[in-house]
Amino acid sequence: MADTLTEGEVSIDQLFDRPWVCIVWDDPVNLMSYVTFVLIKIFSFSNEKAHATMMQIHVEGRAVVASGSREEMEHHVQALHEHGLWATLQRDDKI
Amino acid sequence: MSLFSREADAYSLTLSIDEAHVLINLVEQLLELLGEGDFQHHYDMNDPFAQLMAMQQEIAAPEDPVLKRLLPNAYADPEAADDFRRYTEPALRRNKQDGLRSIRAALTVLVDNDSAGVIEELDAQMWLKVINDLRLALSVRLEINADSFQLFENMPDEDPQKGIYAVYFWLGWLQESLLELLTQ
Repeated sequence: MADTLTEGEVSIDQLFDRPWVCIVWDDPVNLMSYVTFVLIKIFSFSNEKAHATMMQIHVEGRAVVASGSREEMEHHVQALHEHGLWATLQRDDKI
Repeated sequence: MSLFSREADAYSLTLSIDEAHVLINLVEQLLELLGEGDFQHHYDMNDPFAQLMAMQQEIAAPEDPVLKRLLPNAYADPEAADDFRRYTEPALRRNKQDGLRSIRAALTVLVDNDSAGVIEELDAQMWLKVINDLRLALSVRLEINADSFQLFENMPDEDPQKGIYAVYFWLGWLQESLLELLTQ
């Protein structure tokens, strides 16, 4: 879940520059082969990593596919949406 | 019978006239749903796909569940999601419209000549995305879940939805066949 802040507050994340993560969620429509294909195309994953990530999405319902700056993650989410994958970004909640 | 084929880096698609009609109808209905109404369309409103697509809300209403699925929120937090949408949704919508328009142009040639045919030198990556968007759109209207294929198989032939389910699963097969060629 994204944190919400009221104006003037400084979040822990701003203090420690915790990175953002891009998450792909499972859905019953996107073909497993298509999800694997898109992960390779967007993130240059190896076949093996793409397949393992796709399986994680399918079995666990979601998987973190990238982490880094907010801008980078927004860029990835948009590319994933262009391909019809269900993706969101949030701060990494593991400290 | 529809079939993608590949010679080196050139992809083509053979379609029957009935398949070309089904595809162009879906493409045009999704274009309209994405807010593009400025073209002479090939379907009439009695078409079962048209009725299915037009079922909810007026065109381009952001509450429409198909649009929610094709143009989803990027953040769980509604305020952050709205901000992101304000800056990025027009480009995402345009990207999807461009793909649909280009496929519509290729299909129009077959449909207007009223004949089966081959679409040559197609942009395989774009077709892959558009077929996926069509499947996503249909899946929302059909409320597709893990049990839908079994539901379809057990559906009596006279069920008016059976043909639409058949198209949904046909598109999945078509997409899978293109993926196989792309990853060869």
